[in-house]
Amino acid sequence: MKAKFSEYLTSIAPGLKELIAELGKSYDYVSVLSTDSVGFSISASQRVKSIYGDTLMVERGNVVRVYKDGLYSEYAFNLFDTDNVGEKATKIKEVLDKQLAVLKATNTKVYDTGKLSDEPEQLFVEMDTTDLPEETDLDALMNKLKSFSDKGKSLSEEIIDCTVSGESTHVCKMFLTANRDLRQSYVQSTGSVLMLTARGDKTEYAYESLSDREGPAIFDGLEELLEKGLESVQANLGAERIIPGEYEVITTPEVSGLIAHEAFGHGVEMDMFVKKRALGQEYIGKRVGSDLVTMHEGAKVCKNTSSYAFDDEGTLAGDVIEIDKGILKTGVCDALAALRLGTVATGNGKRQNFEHKVYTRMTNTMFDSGNSTKEEMIASIKKGYLLSGFFSGMEDPKHWGIQCIIARGYEIIDGKLTGKVVAPVVLTGYVPDLLNSISMASTDYVPFGAGQCGKGHKEWVKTVDGGPYLKCVARLG
Amino acid sequence: MTDKIIELLKQSSADFWSVEDIVTEGWEFYFIKHQLDQNRVRDVEHITVEVYRKLEDGKLVGRASEEIAPTASVEEAKKIIDALCERATFAPNPYYELNKEQAQVENKEYDVQKMAQEFIEAMQEVPETSGEDINSYEIFAERCKRRFVNSEGIDVTITYPNSMVEVVVNARNDEHEIELYRMYKAGTCDKASLVKDISDTLKFGKDRLHTVPTPNLGKATVLLSTEDSKQLFTWAATHMHAAYKYMGYSDWEAGQPAIKDVKGDKLTIKAVKELPNSANNRAVDSEGAIARDMYIIKDNITENFWGDVQFRYYLGVKDSYNAGNFVTEGGSKTEAELRCGKYLEPVEFSDFSVNPITGDIAGEIRLAYLHDGDEVTVVSGGSVSGNVNELFQNVGFSKELRQYNNAVVPAVVRLENVTISGAE
Repeated sequence: MKAKFSEYLTSIAPGLKELIAELGKSYDYVSVLSTDSVGFSISASQRVKSIYGDTLMVERGNVVRVYKDGLYSEYAFNLFDTDNVGEKATKIKEVLDKQLAVLKATNTKVYDTGKLSDEPEQLFVEMDTTDLPEETDLDALMNKLKSFSDKGKSLSEEIIDCTVSGESTHVCKMFLTANRDLRQSYVQSTGSVLMLTARGDKTEYAYESLSDREGPAIFDGLEELLEKGLESVQANLGAERIIPGEYEVITTPEVSGLIAHEAFGHGVEMDMFVKKRALGQEYIGKRVGSDLVTMHEGAKVCKNTSSYAFDDEGTLAGDVIEIDKGILKTGVCDALAALRLGTVATGNGKRQNFEHKVYTRMTNTMFDSGNSTKEEMIASIKKGYLLSGFFSGMEDPKHWGIQCIIARGYEIIDGKLTGKVVAPVVLTGYVPDLLNSISMASTDYVPFGAGQCGKGHKEWVKTVDGGPYLKCVARLG
Repeated sequence: MTDKIIELLKQSSADFWSVEDIVTEGWEFYFIKHQLDQNRVRDVEHITVEVYRKLEDGKLVGRASEEIAPTASVEEAKKIIDALCERATFAPNPYYELNKEQAQVENKEYDVQKMAQEFIEAMQEVPETSGEDINSYEIFAERCKRRFVNSEGIDVTITYPNSMVEVVVNARNDEHEIELYRMYKAGTCDKASLVKDISDTLKFGKDRLHTVPTPNLGKATVLLSTEDSKQLFTWAATHMHAAYKYMGYSDWEAGQPAIKDVKGDKLTIKAVKELPNSANNRAVDSEGAIARDMYIIKDNITENFWGDVQFRYYLGVKDSYNAGNFVTEGGSKTEAELRCGKYLEPVEFSDFSVNPITGDIAGEIRLAYLHDGDEVTVVSGGSVSGNVNELFQNVGFSKELRQYNNAVVPAVVRLENVTISGAE
């Protein structure tokens, strides 16, 4: 079925176009992004059940972007009366003028930026979806998730609780200027299983997830994650601490994705180039990884939770090859950063929601697959670990450091898994060293889109990353 | 619109209900160096409704919530409330009651324009040199007005400021340039404190230019003297959160030791209603419960669980609330006394993390000082790891305290037997 576009946005579009025209009398460029996204989050465990009407992407509101004298200014609002457009335009001008008065009082100079082009473009996209969150039978879904929780809890006496959750959002966005009218509607959903266990004084948990640009129907797949969750958490319960050192490792597609995201995902967000905060700027055209390293980034790279038709600045979705056979080719760019760098926007301008500023952000960041099998890769390791699952990662684009908190490492000795597990594992190192050490890649190609990504320590958006199993050398602690 | 929604709720099939209406005026300024990248205004109102239905003769209660757009018509609002009343029956939980006590509140007025201007002026006062300067910064200043109403007689309105500054600084020499990141949260602008802390950060930046790889220390003494230490105490306070306890994430029992076999300083954490210029100063919490001062953990013995009314009700904890400000008391030694022998003092991590459930700590070292008597080596790379449950058994808290927004913590925390993976 099609994800139907918002009737509310359709109803306010004429008023917003009127607002653009009114503000156009005072400013050289005006755009409006309007959103009307609905959804739910639902969770069932042995102890608590919950249903909320919000997710990371549920929102309804508007943000106006205006340009004059080299400066871009924005006004975000969610009170809009199509019968009083003139009044709203006056209010916007007055408050932005007040801000300019503060800038004048503090002798603040403006970072002079050129004017965005406003090439005519019309787009209306209603993407396919299995079903819609607003039409979901939540009673039946709650019963289903509770049955999964019951089944998960019954798998082992060591399980304290098994929480099964899902969230689904029907995203509707409209981008308008004097010449552009872009409208898109799609549904994205994520689900997870959180298994909490105890053995003696030790408490451990495992998190398994699924995601897709589909509706709540994907939550049927959560049942299949229960056994995997049990296996993961039992591995952690029996885990030892790792002896710090440098090891040959194999990363699961999930961990490969985390490395892609932290190593070169953030490192080539080109708004960081404007601020000279990314070392990658000096390495365009140079080797940063082995021949096996090819990495794509863009909303069109694969179909998952960050696969849209246009970004939050009205730039159409793209597919950029950032690293080609180990050579850094380019980064990704929002529209204002592109103006400042003299390059083209790649469709990566994203906001946390309409209230937030646009930054260059990742969408789908994926390593290409290779020719090996996972079994061949394990057999090739004398002493090392198969790294699986993660808790967090942190970027360091300026110095190319990397930090990944990996959930567990399965020991490999003489080409075989020994059954011994270490956890947690802190993977650190210098990004080019890590990527240059990649010596094998599997034929797998798996995206993961259940998580969210911040810039620094804020601005949370949905992102997707993944790829194949990779063999490399890493420092573990 | 809120009053219309309240009328609709009274007429609905909800057994209890609550409404939260937050109006925010936010001013934002984004800078590259000291040049303005972009200015922004947020002018928004968010109204969130929660409805509750008694089920199975009052043994269970179900809840459902959703935001109602301030532009919604009465008909649209009624449709949402009716849907919520049905949806609430899908999520039955053991019975609990909402907060009932009405708070008396005196509100102040806050000038968001003045707040924003003071932040800009503060950033302009940071002493920069050709070798250490500001790369970029973002200023967020908010004035918020929040009304909370529930079916049990609470109707309270509070006003509060909320601000945040994100700063990136650079330091450089002939060979390379490095950067450090800071995020400051507060109520309004404390100019002197902000300028001092960023100036200290510039000094860290200068030191980071001349590091050597962190040696493989194996097990070492680690001294935390920056905001990273706050996470250790957040972990402990979170283990006393009623939801954490009820859900099984925390096995701490009321009236029992929090940390087993403590040989070092004992943990004392107090929830407090207010701290100077904290962004979390509120007369009532998000569910209308009255904020007050109370011990969470005293001399390593757990005293009061805190958190949401639902989970407090399940634990039988009445006189508590969802706290926002915390004070950890100091230990038996001064900072000078804790700074003895050989120890590593990391002052910059990529991301110092404490796993909220397991207590595992981890962080890649971006800058640390390796102290050995009078000798100090500046190092970077490698990582620290360990577990708070074990590290707090023999911990040293300085007598001196320091405030980071909503938390007062010992200025220095000394941890023994931390695993250090070197970068050599």
